[in-house]
Amino acid sequence: MSREKLKRLGVELPLLPTSTVGSFPKTPELAEARTKYTRNQITRAELETLEKRATEFWIRTQEEIGLDVLVDGEQYRGDMVAYFAELMGGFQTGGLVRSYGNRYYHKPAIVGEVKWPGPMTVQWWRWTQSLTKKPVKGMLTGPYTVMDWSFNDHYRDRKSACLALAGELRKEAEALIEAGARIIQIDEPAISVRQEELSFAIEAMHLTVDGLPAYFITHACYGAFETIYPDMLELPVDNLDLAISNSALDLLKIFEKDPFTKDLSLGVLDVHNHRIETPTEIKARVMRGVRVLTPERVWVDPDCGLKTRTVEESRRKLETMLTAVRELRTELA
Amino acid sequence: MQLILSTAGSYPRIGDVPDLQRHRRAYAQRERGDISAEELRKVEDEVVAGVIREQIEAGIEVVTDGLIRWYDPYSHFARGVEGVEINGLLRLFDTNFYFRQPVVKGRLRRRGPILLPEYEFARSVSSRPVKPVLTGPYTLARGSIVEAGYRSVHELALAYAEVLAAEVGELSRAGAQLIQLDEPAIVRHPENLNVLEAALAVVGRERGAARLLLHTPFGDVAPLYRDLQALPVDALGLDFTYSPKLPALIADLGSAKPLALGLIDARNTKLETRESVFPVLDAILPALKTGPTYLMPSCGLEFLPRERARLKLETLKRLRDAYLGGRS
Ligand SMILES: [Zn+2]
Repeated sequence: MSREKLKRLGVELPLLPTSTVGSFPKTPELAEARTKYTRNQITRAELETLEKRATEFWIRTQEEIGLDVLVDGEQYRGDMVAYFAELMGGFQTGGLVRSYGNRYYHKPAIVGEVKWPGPMTVQWWRWTQSLTKKPVKGMLTGPYTVMDWSFNDHYRDRKSACLALAGELRKEAEALIEAGARIIQIDEPAISVRQEELSFAIEAMHLTVDGLPAYFITHACYGAFETIYPDMLELPVDNLDLAISNSALDLLKIFEKDPFTKDLSLGVLDVHNHRIETPTEIKARVMRGVRVLTPERVWVDPDCGLKTRTVEESRRKLETMLTAVRELRTELA
Repeated sequence: MQLILSTAGSYPRIGDVPDLQRHRRAYAQRERGDISAEELRKVEDEVVAGVIREQIEAGIEVVTDGLIRWYDPYSHFARGVEGVEINGLLRLFDTNFYFRQPVVKGRLRRRGPILLPEYEFARSVSSRPVKPVLTGPYTLARGSIVEAGYRSVHELALAYAEVLAAEVGELSRAGAQLIQLDEPAIVRHPENLNVLEAALAVVGRERGAARLLLHTPFGDVAPLYRDLQALPVDALGLDFTYSPKLPALIADLGSAKPLALGLIDARNTKLETRESVFPVLDAILPALKTGPTYLMPSCGLEFLPRERARLKLETLKRLRDAYLGGRS
C-alpha cells in the first residue's frame, strides 16, 4: 500500500496524517505590499523579502498547529494557473475576462509550443524545506487544469494542448524530486468539468508522473467526486483529495459498489465558511472515511485552499482539526 | 440562400484599455456608494450603446444588448421575482464564470417587467433588430435551491415559466421579433425533456408574433437533437463546439425548424477558418427545410476578451460573405 511507498521514500507519518490543500491567506503585510507593487511603489526585491517573511510565518504556524505535511502557502503565487503560464514558454498574458460580478482576471493564452523554462517552484520549495524538519509538499497545477483555464490559440485541440503541457510539467516534477521533494501534489480542480475529456486528462497525468519516485496527491475541488467516480481512480496518483465537509456523500455505499483503491485525503474543513467547525463535527467527518477504508489509508485536510479565509480563521480551523485528529489517533490506536 | 449573422447573448463589458473600462470603474464606485444608481445606469446605457455599435460595425445583423446589466444569467431574473433570494457563488457549467444561486423561499411572483426596459433602451440605440435573451425556465429551476414553495424541479420550472411568459409577452408586444431562451441545463439532464417541454409550452403561449429561439450551449446536443426538434419553439440554436457528430447528424436528419448555427467558438480565442467552417455548412445547409438560417457564436461572447470578441464577429462576417460569394 502507499504507506510502504512513503516508507521507501523515507517519509514516516503518524496515523491520519494531516496536511492542507496548498494556499494560505496572504498575510496583511504581504497583501498591502502586493497592492503597492502593482502601483510601482515598491521594488520586486522588496516584495520578495515580504513573500519570504510571510512564507516563514506560515511554516512556523503550521509547525505550531502540529500539521504533519507542510506547504509553502503559495504566498508568492497569485492564480494557480497564471503563475505557471507567466513563467512557461508559449504563453501570453491574455486580455481581461469577467469571472463574476465586477471581478475580472487576465486569462492566459497558449500562443506557441509550451515550454518548461527551467525550475519554476523548486527554489521556493528548497528554501521552505530548509526551514522545517517536517516534509514539505511540492505543489503543481496539473496539465488538464492549466489547459482548461487558458485560451488555446496554438494547438489543434484541447487534448493536444493538454498532452503537450503534461510533458513540460513532468520536467518540473522531476526537478522537485531532484531537489529532494518526496511528496508532490498535482492539483486538477478542472478535471470534472467535461466528463468526456476525463480519458485524456488521465493520459496527461500518466505523462506527468509515470515512473517518478514520489508520492503523488491530486486535489480536485468540490463536486468532482460525484461526477467522475469511479473513473477518477484511473488517475495514476497515490492519494486523491476529496471534499466531504459540505456533502452528504454516502462513502460506504459508493465504495461498496466501486472499492476505493488509493489513499484518501478527506477535506473536512469548509474553507468557504467563516464558522469554525467543532472537534466533534470533524471527528464525525473523518469517521465517515475511516469506517469504509482502514485508518492507515486516510489523510485529513481542509476541503480546498485556505486563501479566502483570514489568517486567524485559518489557524483556528486547523487547530480544531488537529484537536479532533489527536483524539481519533488515541481512540483508534 | 440567406445566412443571417447574430450574436448569442453576452458581450464583454470592458476591454483592456482604460477607455473601455468605464463600466468596471463605475460599478466599483457604485459599490462604494460614490455614485448613485442613476449614475451607474447612465454608464450602463453608454456601454450598451457601445457594444451594439461594435456588433453592427462588425457586420452583425441581429444584435443583443450584450446582457450588460446582468450580474449573471440566474440572479438577473431571480432579483425580479418575489419568493426568491440570492445565495453564494456557483460555477456556471464548465466555464470559469460564477453565478449567484437563487434560493426559492416561497411561491414565485414577478415584481414587474425585468427585460422590457432593457429591450426598449437597446432598440432605441440600435439600427438593427435587437434580440432579447432570457434564461429558460428549466435552467433557472435546475440552478435554484428550493427551500419552500415547490416540491419538484418540474413544479418550479412551471412557476419560472409563468414569470418568463409575462416577460415574453411584453417583449413581443414591444416589437421583438425573435426572442432567445437559453436552456443549457437540459443538455446535462435529458431525462427532464418532458419538464422542459411543459415549461416551454407555458412560455410560448404569450409569444404573439415573436418567434422563440431555444439555445442549448455548453454541452453535446447531438444525443438530444431529435427531441429538440419536437419542442414547442420556433427555432433551435446549437453549440457545435462540443459536438463533432452534430453536422453529420443534421445532414442526415435535416431540420424542420430554422437553425441558429453556433459555429464560432465563443470560449476560445483561436479564430475560425474556411477549412473549419465551410465543410460544416456544406453538410448542413442542403438538409435544412426552412429558413432563415442564422450564424452565430457558440454562446455569449463574455468568455473572451473584448478585442477578441470583436475579431470573432468580424471573422463570422468574413466567412459568411466568402461562403455566399463562392456559391453564387
Ligand atoms: Zn479546491
